[in-house]
Amino acid sequence: MPSPFLTPGAQSQLDRLALLQLRRDQTIPTILQLHDEKDAGYKEGKVTNTRFGSFPHSTLCDQPWGSQIIASKVDTGSRGRTQSKKLKRKADELDSSTQAEDKPSPQTPVAASSGFLHLLYPTPELWTASLPHRTQVVYTPDYSYILHRLRARPGSTVIEAGAGSGSFTHASVRAVFNGYPSDDHSTKRRRLGKVCSFEFHAQRAEKVRVEVSEHGLDGLVEVTHRDVYEDGFLLGDPKTGKSPKANAIFLDLPAPWLALKHLVRNPPEGAESPLDPTSPVYICTFSPCLEQVQRTVSTLRQLGWLGISMVEVNNRRIEVKRERVGLEYENTRGTIIFPKSVDEAVDRTRALEERSQLFRAAQTQSDGDSTPAPKTENQAKGGDSASKTETDTPARQQGYEVPVYKQGRVMTRSEIDLKNHTSYLVFAVLPREWTEEDEKRCREKWPSNRVQEPQGPPKSKKQLKRETKEQRDLQKKEQSQLETESQKE
Amino acid sequence: MHSYVRPHQFVALRLPSEFTKIQKIEPDSTVFLGKFGSFPANQIIGRPFYLTFEILDDADEKDGSCLRIVPAAELHAETLIEEGEGDGEELDTNEDGTPMRTNREIVDDASTQKLTWEEIEALKKESSGAGRDIISKLLESHQALDQKTSFSLAKYMLRKRRKYMKRFTVLPLDVSILTNHMMEDQGAARIMEMRDEMIGLLGCWGNVHHGGDASLEEAIAAKPNGRYLVVDDTGGLVVAAMAERMGILYPHDGDDYEEQESSDEPKKNEAGQAQDDEQQPTESSTRRPARPGHMSASGNSITFLHPNKQPNLSLLKYFGYNQDSPDETHPLHKHLKTISWLQLLDPNADPIYSEEPEIIPDSELYTMKSNKRGAYHRKRNRWARVQSVVNEARAGEFDGLIVATVMDPSSVLKYAVPLLAGSAHVAVYSPSIEPLTELMDLYSTPRKTAFISQKQQLKEQKQQQASDQNGANETELQDSDLSELMDEFYLDPTLLLAPTLQNSRVRPWQVLPGRTHPQMSMRGGAEGYIFHGVRVIPTQQTVQAAGNPSRKKRKVTAPQTPTTAVDSGSGVDVEMKS
Repeated sequence: MPSPFLTPGAQSQLDRLALLQLRRDQTIPTILQLHDEKDAGYKEGKVTNTRFGSFPHSTLCDQPWGSQIIASKVDTGSRGRTQSKKLKRKADELDSSTQAEDKPSPQTPVAASSGFLHLLYPTPELWTASLPHRTQVVYTPDYSYILHRLRARPGSTVIEAGAGSGSFTHASVRAVFNGYPSDDHSTKRRRLGKVCSFEFHAQRAEKVRVEVSEHGLDGLVEVTHRDVYEDGFLLGDPKTGKSPKANAIFLDLPAPWLALKHLVRNPPEGAESPLDPTSPVYICTFSPCLEQVQRTVSTLRQLGWLGISMVEVNNRRIEVKRERVGLEYENTRGTIIFPKSVDEAVDRTRALEERSQLFRAAQTQSDGDSTPAPKTENQAKGGDSASKTETDTPARQQGYEVPVYKQGRVMTRSEIDLKNHTSYLVFAVLPREWTEEDEKRCREKWPSNRVQEPQGPPKSKKQLKRETKEQRDLQKKEQSQLETESQKE
Repeated sequence: MHSYVRPHQFVALRLPSEFTKIQKIEPDSTVFLGKFGSFPANQIIGRPFYLTFEILDDADEKDGSCLRIVPAAELHAETLIEEGEGDGEELDTNEDGTPMRTNREIVDDASTQKLTWEEIEALKKESSGAGRDIISKLLESHQALDQKTSFSLAKYMLRKRRKYMKRFTVLPLDVSILTNHMMEDQGAARIMEMRDEMIGLLGCWGNVHHGGDASLEEAIAAKPNGRYLVVDDTGGLVVAAMAERMGILYPHDGDDYEEQESSDEPKKNEAGQAQDDEQQPTESSTRRPARPGHMSASGNSITFLHPNKQPNLSLLKYFGYNQDSPDETHPLHKHLKTISWLQLLDPNADPIYSEEPEIIPDSELYTMKSNKRGAYHRKRNRWARVQSVVNEARAGEFDGLIVATVMDPSSVLKYAVPLLAGSAHVAVYSPSIEPLTELMDLYSTPRKTAFISQKQQLKEQKQQQASDQNGANETELQDSDLSELMDEFYLDPTLLLAPTLQNSRVRPWQVLPGRTHPQMSMRGGAEGYIFHGVRVIPTQQTVQAAGNPSRKKRKVTAPQTPTTAVDSGSGVDVEMKS
């Protein structure tokens, strides 16, 4: 079964995972089915209820990916469900505004008057954002960099220890995927990418296994329930199992240094190495604490890993919004009612000043007339509101001539909840093993002293050396000459 | 996989100064490393990557070898020793707990180093041991050495080692190393200051991956998978990064596996290079014909959109692909398609596309001279190739759009987004935030809402007109009707879902016993941002649903106020207004 993650095709299909996107950061993963055993009762078959309406799966199947799907009027009244659930659902539906509840619905769903979602195929990014959390999740900014640094490319084999919630599993299988395993001759000849996932928590391992199967990743991801500190990384039996021949390793473990002893070229007692003997092996460990990093790095050094480096990734999402500042936005939500410029402030103050002058003039007049004060106050108030509308109206009209989406100024700011620290990433590489014999063979194949200069016959190393020495001597002479000259000066 | 150094391959050499040098390894030549010395290329061909070599002063008498592989234990020696001595956790302290040695007594002047410049120069010429004895002499003659704290001593050693050690490390030239090389050594501006982490992020958000196997693809009778549209003004770095993710960048990718299966022979001569077609995913089990079709792949392909007559993909040369005379065995030959914006938007204005070379019958062809015949075939082939590439690109249904351009990104999205299949991902890189905030604004929720309602109004007007004229009420909006709308909105904001903007930065640390801290300096310059969105297909039904009584009522009462959904937050759910 092809995976919707890797080869989604053009349309959504039954029994495959699809993502129902309600709004940004709110995505419901669901497996499309016409009939749902658990949820029986809907006349339309399986229905996913959201705050934006109800969606029978018959309206979601065989649709082009990316389609906007309209909510349906679903009869929820006649179903035999428990009272409490019903109440809850009613509340949900109130939330999603208009919903015809009392009309009996036919088998074919009827479009509701409002509410929709977008039908998307899953990607590791969308899955990471919507997956059921079992443990700390490795998020996109981290895994994108890790996989890039691990050189996890089509055809690679990746070991992942600590499958956790499975976000890294999905991202890494996408990175190494280059075809589904089959008995076909052509696929046997090339190396297919694979992820070997190890998890020591039995239930989590089982959940990952079910997920892998549901997502059509069987054969691409091999899940093993194993304590890797103790039993290492061989597939199948911990002692005599098959080597995964890994090119890249990702350790999301509390104590990665305890697992490193298994990740060597020549394990003790003649066991098979889980590493690919023909390629350099890249490793990344993912630890939140500095102490873990120090122990890991120290162990990596002892085991002869090279190019050891440690980094942390800082990622932030940026909100872009139009910010509208001005006095004309009175009575408009989401605006700042404040003078937008010095000029506006001056105009406004001037207008107010004029008004108060009028008021005072009226007051002195009234004092002279000795008529009761309340009346003049009323007059003044009337004058005030009149002048206010006078000054405000042109500005407001101007404001409304510009459509809402063009008002104000585009501003950026970081989103409110920043992930300040995820984990420290330690990277290292272990080169291929290189023995004296290998070196000797290589020297025979590529004679060290066979050097062709572009202009003439090959020169021996000694000749070359002599030449460079002569050159140096020449330079030296020149230099000393220069020096003596400068001294003379 | 990068298994060992192949002849005629580009590699990166990391020098003690932490700089990398990109070098093509030609057999029987000499590689020069400036002040660090030189060595014959033959001495690293066939060897594995990531080994560190030391240039010896005296070549081996027998075979002239002048390189020594430095074992990992020696590279880590100092730190390992330090760790061994009390784990390096504690500072050297006196009994009262104050640090034993501080920088209190150190006087900064040049007199502490007793060796003169001339003496050091002389030493350099005579010395052996790849610079180690220079360093030890320098240390010996440093007067204030015993005053240094162990940390500053370590720093001093490191500085001197960088200057005098004759060592280098051979690294495989992949996208990551090339990016770092371009960023530090030369022309960061040439690659739009794109850091390594941005390349990883761009590829992930663009959902770029291998398109899978052709045979299975047919089984599910679907469209070809893994067709990506790339706009790249970095000279080919982004194309290379995407090709790496799709498994079509390295010509020898599949070879190592075969070797591993067949024999232990660690190296292969040049004649063995023709074996790479098992790496081609769309290849059937039959042998490829002698002349593989240029740009002929149906799936797992990159379509590169370029603004000029010729594409600029000069960085691909480091991966063995020369755009002027592409190597037919290179996977990119088949999987990389180039098309100019002119060809995409107005193909008939391009003579190569529109003017079909006359077909000359075979009988006549036989009478022609061979070079003329060759020219004829070339012309025909080029025409056919451009036709198929352009037609295919215009038909759209791409699986992703990756953009890194100095042009206005909104202009790219205006034309490229409609070419994407539904649910395809769009990822745009920009070194600075301004072009992308503009993009975010063009896809903002208020704009979407206004666009939908104005489009609806247009449609209703059209229907009204139509029913007035001939009573028909089934009319579709034509492109010409929307031109006014497009002038106002520039691009269709309803085609992209959930636009997001983000930036990412990697902060490197130093991890040494008792001296772990973030690195003191890092590169400034462009921050680098990525825009992401998902292509969706707004259904016509929505528009009809919008015409229902409750909505219409509001539109009638307030025709001038376009929307009340302005403040509904960052959500993209336009429907929320009802």
